[in-house]
Amino acid sequence: MRVKSLLIAAMIFAAKKLLRLGLLLMAVAVFTFVLLSFSPIDPVKAYIGADMMQISPEQQALIAERWGLNQPMGERFLDWLGQLLQGNLGTSLVFNQPVSEVIASRFQASLQMLAIAWLLSGLLGLALGIIAGALQGRWPDRLIKLYAYTLASAPTFWVALLLLIIFAVSFKVAPICCAAPPGVLSQNVTFWQRLHHLLLPAAALSIIGIANIALHTRQKLIDILHSDYVLFARAQGESLWNIVRYHGFRNVLLPAITLQFASLSELFGGSVLVEQVFAYPGLGEATVQAALRSDIPLLVGIVFFSALFVYTGNTLADLAYPVIDPRIRLGDSST
Amino acid sequence: MQIIKRERLIGVLSLLVAGWAIASCSPTSTNSTTSNNTAESPSAQSGSAEQVVLAIGGESEEGYDPTLGWGRYGAPLFQSTLLRRDENLNIVNDLATDYSISEDGKTWTVTIREDAVFSDGKPLTAADVAYTFNKAAESGGLTDVTQLENATAVDAKTVALTLKQPQSTFVNRLITLGIVPEHAHGEDYARNPIGSGPYKMVQWDEGQQLIVEANPDYYGDAPAIERLVFLFLEEDGAFAAAKSGQVQVAAVSQSLAVQQIEGMALRDVVSVDNRGLMFPYLPANSKKTADGDPIGNDVTADLAIRQAVNYAVDRQAMVDGILEGYGSPAYGPVSSLEWEETKANIEDAQPEKAKEILAEGGWIDSDSDGIVEKNGMKAEFTILYKADDSIRQALALSTAEMLKPIGIQANVEGKSWDNIEPLMHSNVVVFGWGSHDQTEMYNLYHSQAAQGDYYNAGYYADSAIDSTLDLAMGAPSEAEAVTYWKAAQWNGDKGVTAKGDAAWAWLVNLDHTYFVDECLDVGQLQVEPHGHGWPITANIAEWTWTCE
Repeated sequence: MRVKSLLIAAMIFAAKKLLRLGLLLMAVAVFTFVLLSFSPIDPVKAYIGADMMQISPEQQALIAERWGLNQPMGERFLDWLGQLLQGNLGTSLVFNQPVSEVIASRFQASLQMLAIAWLLSGLLGLALGIIAGALQGRWPDRLIKLYAYTLASAPTFWVALLLLIIFAVSFKVAPICCAAPPGVLSQNVTFWQRLHHLLLPAAALSIIGIANIALHTRQKLIDILHSDYVLFARAQGESLWNIVRYHGFRNVLLPAITLQFASLSELFGGSVLVEQVFAYPGLGEATVQAALRSDIPLLVGIVFFSALFVYTGNTLADLAYPVIDPRIRLGDSST
Repeated sequence: MQIIKRERLIGVLSLLVAGWAIASCSPTSTNSTTSNNTAESPSAQSGSAEQVVLAIGGESEEGYDPTLGWGRYGAPLFQSTLLRRDENLNIVNDLATDYSISEDGKTWTVTIREDAVFSDGKPLTAADVAYTFNKAAESGGLTDVTQLENATAVDAKTVALTLKQPQSTFVNRLITLGIVPEHAHGEDYARNPIGSGPYKMVQWDEGQQLIVEANPDYYGDAPAIERLVFLFLEEDGAFAAAKSGQVQVAAVSQSLAVQQIEGMALRDVVSVDNRGLMFPYLPANSKKTADGDPIGNDVTADLAIRQAVNYAVDRQAMVDGILEGYGSPAYGPVSSLEWEETKANIEDAQPEKAKEILAEGGWIDSDSDGIVEKNGMKAEFTILYKADDSIRQALALSTAEMLKPIGIQANVEGKSWDNIEPLMHSNVVVFGWGSHDQTEMYNLYHSQAAQGDYYNAGYYADSAIDSTLDLAMGAPSEAEAVTYWKAAQWNGDKGVTAKGDAAWAWLVNLDHTYFVDECLDVGQLQVEPHGHGWPITANIAEWTWTCE
């Protein structure tokens, strides 16, 4: 009986989540189309670029026809929607390739970087936050606070540039561009070479997240350490580290996890800048291209994908709560 | 190209740092590229007859399909063309062994060589040529073959191209359109090109590099460089990579060309990549474009103003000051090409003469404010330029400076193309063009070309010029058309250049500057069209490595 009701609750939860996701994606698509219909950038002209004098109006019409740009925006949206229902995201104007393929190949490059950055920022942020919170007011706390405030107010690309200067220029231990050494066939690129090209961008990306998580964790831990039950535990002679371990850790995990999963969107946004700085050919680069050339299918595809990505992140956080704190239940209005 | 712009600040900063980074990498670490030592920076490449690394930009994001426009600059690499232009821009045979044009100029008959094979081993036949032209005519890419009625293979090695109208400039399609295999031209062709060119694709890492190797089946002389790696870095990155010895050819801006790189020589290639001021030709409010944008400007509609600007500016000073000497004065749209009318050139930097022209035209400074007037209208106009282009900005500013002494007030404003477009028929705009295809000249000056777009943006209109341009376009061959192209510029009595209607004030041609390894002989280079970078590859199959 209990299992059954749990199952039903889970199904209702999943159905609600899916419905919300569907609505979100729909809203995102409509919004992107509306925004881009106001964009002054004419995709045909952006495509032709400097060849403007060689391309006759007849040829311009052919180009517009090739991409269906000669139809009104409403009709293009309906066409696109029809294709989407058949599982087709359309063809990218910039890359002359199905949008799904562009996203797949670009995201592959970004994914490893995002994953490393995400793990690094989560683990380091939590660890630093706990240390600072536990040792509130002492020198490690001040140091960590200084570090976190500095980084929290530093733009991603600036941090990326600093890292480049330090590690690629001064110490010469990191490459300055690309995802692999030039001139080497992909089958000859070793795992270490890939990792080597990946590490610095990933580190740059993670640094921003660290500050955020560390500061929130610190504050939460300080609150906990000032609570009555901790006072009681202290009175019983419990050491600081045992209190942190048994009373603090679970409680600080909640905000940390919320932040960690919510930071997926920031991570995604940050990757656009970091990829520019490191000339790393990921999804961020493709986004810039798509926007500057009014490549609606690709842009909507990427926006879709990132919405899905962030939404999944938040859902995972929701799912993680009851595991960490059994008082929280799926489907509770309080979540 | 000009429309794509990125986060400028980030771009500039990152390249600056990238520059430092590569520049300070010691060029001594020339160990093999298969090194998997993670502790050291990527092994620097040194050139050899086996491999040359180039950083000249030119990535074709949509792939390497000639029917979509690949190969319109420089060499199509993977494919070969019917004809090509040699180092002096003369038209010579490539795949074609001969071609003739019918009396009425509508049918071009081309015979092709029999020994050409595609890199998949299949022979290249007239059917492939016909397929390529028909396909290009109907596909919405960056090659304009819309004048083609149809192409048919007469026999295995003869193809007949029938045009809707005679078009002397159609020869440029024979020069730039690489022939694709009918049997292997599918959806994925652009990413896996098969052709009969000197090189074949090995690997393309999008956004990063393109690796190609000599095609053993190529019918021409085997290329001397076995393997080419094209790195897609931006200009400052390319410069830094050259400085660290990692690339053997780097396209750099004029401002970087003044630097020295050990082991590399600067190749300064003359180009027709021009910059000039386009004048609105009609008086203000004469009409509106289809989009409702205003056409015309009362000040620039006056011939005296346009001529005075042409005579007042000091073009050589602009070349020296703005382009670091890497450029040449431009007096017309087709400098250094065979169809340039050099008699149209003027003696510029003459403010006195400019003042005379203004005075004769009725422009006098009656209220002593330093600006001349005519019928109560001040000689004042706005020069628009693309905001993120520093050369165009400098040209606009120095023009304004040079016009002040003769009493013309030019206000300078930078905007994006999207914002310039609605204003470009009623304001002076700094444009840059330059092509081996004379169609461009036709579109710059023919009254019928003015349709509220970039073509003849100033709505210049003169029936005599129109008919000269029509004669040039309708001439049966390029050689016969040249006379008319020249006459349209200046025939001793009339023309579009400064001595005539002065529809534009052409200012400068940019030289294209490349750092080339001292061991690499790139031969004699063509006068390059607009587009810095890829055009240097036009003769890439003839490049040789001269060191051991």
